[in-house]
Amino acid sequence: MPLLSSLECDYPLINSDFRNFCASHAIISVEDFLLHDLYALLTSTEQHHNFKRLKEGITQVLTIINKKHQPWLDGQDLLDDALQNKHFLPTGCRSIDAFLHGGLREGYLTELVGTSSSGKTQICLQAASAVAKSWGKVVFLDSGNSFSPKRVAQIVNQTSDLSAYEVDEAFQQVMNNIVCLSVFDIFTLFEVIHQLKHNLRSQLDQHIRMLIIDSISSLITPILGGGGAHGHALMVSVGFLLKRLAHEHDISILVTNHMVAGERGTSKPALGESWRSIPHVRLLLSRDHIRNISCMSILRHPHMATGDRVEFELQ
Amino acid sequence: MARQWIEGDETAKEFLTRVLTERPFVPLLPPLHRIPLRAGNVVEIVGPSPSSKTRILIQAAINCILPKEWKGVNYGGLERLVMFVDLDCRFDVLSLSRSLKKRIVRANGNGVGHKLNKVDDSPSGSKDAHAEYDKELFSVSMRRFLYIRCYDSFEFLATLKTLQLQLQKEKEAHGTGVYLLMIDSIGAFYWMDRASPSIPPGSTNRRSLSLQSVSDTVVQEIQKILVVHPMLVLTTKAASLQEKFTTRDVISHSNRNTGQLSVESILDSRTIRNSANVQLYREYMPSVWQSFVSHRVFVRPSDDTKYEKQPIYLAEWLLPSLNLSDKFTINDDGSYIVP
Repeated sequence: MPLLSSLECDYPLINSDFRNFCASHAIISVEDFLLHDLYALLTSTEQHHNFKRLKEGITQVLTIINKKHQPWLDGQDLLDDALQNKHFLPTGCRSIDAFLHGGLREGYLTELVGTSSSGKTQICLQAASAVAKSWGKVVFLDSGNSFSPKRVAQIVNQTSDLSAYEVDEAFQQVMNNIVCLSVFDIFTLFEVIHQLKHNLRSQLDQHIRMLIIDSISSLITPILGGGGAHGHALMVSVGFLLKRLAHEHDISILVTNHMVAGERGTSKPALGESWRSIPHVRLLLSRDHIRNISCMSILRHPHMATGDRVEFELQ
Repeated sequence: MARQWIEGDETAKEFLTRVLTERPFVPLLPPLHRIPLRAGNVVEIVGPSPSSKTRILIQAAINCILPKEWKGVNYGGLERLVMFVDLDCRFDVLSLSRSLKKRIVRANGNGVGHKLNKVDDSPSGSKDAHAEYDKELFSVSMRRFLYIRCYDSFEFLATLKTLQLQLQKEKEAHGTGVYLLMIDSIGAFYWMDRASPSIPPGSTNRRSLSLQSVSDTVVQEIQKILVVHPMLVLTTKAASLQEKFTTRDVISHSNRNTGQLSVESILDSRTIRNSANVQLYREYMPSVWQSFVSHRVFVRPSDDTKYEKQPIYLAEWLLPSLNLSDKFTINDDGSYIVP
C-alpha cells in the first residue's frame, strides 16, 4: 500500500507538514487513512495554526482514495458490457451447450466437480479444442499431466466431417491456439496468473478466450488444513484473482475440482465450504460406466435451478 | 422564546406524512414481506451457498427502481436508486434485466391502461415472447441500479469512504436519492482479512486491514452514511450449516412447521429448541457487525420437491425471532410463498 511520503511528488499538498500531522495520528500509509475516522481527523485539525492546509490535504487524500476502487456503473452499462463483450463459448458437446443456454460464458468462473474418470478432463479438452478451432487462444494449465495432444487430435477428428488433409490443418490450428503450461503448486499458479494479467494489460498476448485449470483442487488442497487461515486466504485470493481476470479481459475460466471421501461412504468435492461461494457456475459430473452415459447437473448457477440435469454421451 | 420551545413543530399527522414520504416502507417480496422494513434498518440474509440470497436482493432492487406508476400503468415501485456493492464479484446482470422485463410485462398484463402493444406472455419463453415491453421504462429503471464491485477489503473501504460523495452526486444527477444499499456478501473477504496480522510489522500504534479493524470501520462508515442518507441496508452472508444440524436435522426441523411430525423429529426439534441459543449456522463475523444488524433472516434450500423444476427454500426470521418459517420459491418472475 502506498505510503503518504511516496505521494508528495504527484500531490504537493501532501507535504512534510501534512505528513507530520498524520503521523501524530498514527497515519503513515493510505491504508491507515482508510481505517481512520476522517471526521475525528478533520476536527483535530482545528488545533493547528495551518488547519486550512491540513483540511485540503485530507480532501486530497480522499480524491486519491476515490481512484482506488473500481468504477461506479449502472445497470445499463453492465448490460451493454455483458451483451457486447461476454460471449458464450462452446464446450464441444452440443447437448451441454444447449443445456447451459449456449455454453461457457466469458467473464464467468465455471467449475466442474466430479469423481475421477467422470469426464472432467475430457470436457476440458473438448472445450479447449472447440474454442481453439473457431474462437481463438486457449491457455491450459495442467497440474496432473492430463493434457494430451493425441486426445486433442482424436477430438478434432471426431467432431469434424472434413477430409484427411483438412483435419490435419484443423488440428494444426487447434494446437497453435492452445498454450499448455504445467503448474504443480499454488505459487506457480499465482505467478502464471500475474504474468497472464500483465501480458493482457500490455497487450503482449492476443485475446485469450479461455483459461482452463485442470485441476485447481490438486493445487489448493495441499495448502489447506492445519487450522491456520493462510491456506484459505490463498484459496480465496486465487478465486478473486481469477474472477477479476475473467471479468476485465472477457475470458471464460474453467476449473476442475476432484472428489474425496466424505462421511458414511459418500464423496464430496475436495474444495468444500469456503470454495462454494466463489465460482459463478458449479457443475457436477457423473458417469454411468455400464451404459456409457454421462450426466451433468447444476450445483449453482446465477439463474438456472439447482438440480437441473442433462444426460449426454462423451466420446 | 420559552413559548416557542414548548410549541409543537408539527402535528402528528404532519409528522407521519413527512416520515412516510421520506422513509417509506419498502414493498418487498417473500421472504422479506413478513416484517415492515424501512430506511435505517440493517437486514442480513444469511444462509448456505446457494440459497437464493442474491436473487432475493435482485427482486428487492426491482421493487425500488421501478416507478409507482408509468404511463397509466401501476408498477408499485418506489422510483428510487439502488446501490449494489458486489463483494462476491459474480453479479449476473442478465438475471436482473430478465426479471425486470418480466415484471414490466406482467404489470402491463394486469394494468388498467393498455398503452402498449400486445405482449405475448407465453411461459414457453420463446425468443420473441418478451420482445414487446416498454424499452424506455426498462432503460430508466436500469439506470437507477448503481453497481460497484470490490475485489478486496481495501477496495471495499475505499468505496465506503467515498460513498457519501457518490450518493450526493447520484442524487443530483437523478433527482432522487438512493434508498436501498445492498452488500453481497459481507463475509466475502473473511479469510483474506483473517490471515493478515492485526498490527503491521514494525509498528505498535497502527492497525492493518485485519478482520476486526475492517469490520469496525465498515460498521462505523455505514452508520455515519445512514445519518446523512437514510437508506435500507440489505446484506447477504454465506454461512455453512452447523455440523450437528445437517441434512437429517434440517428435515425434521422443517417438518415441525408443516405438521408432519414423526417421533424422531419431535425429539430432534425438542433438543434444538431446548438448547438456549440455537444456532442454525456457523457464525463467523465479528460481534461489531453482528450487533450492527437489526434484522436477520435465515434462508436455506428445503428438500421439498413439489415443483419439479423449481427448488423450494425455507426462510426463518431470527431477528426479531418469529416462530414461523415460510416456504418460498424464486425465479425471474419474482418470489412466491409456497403453501
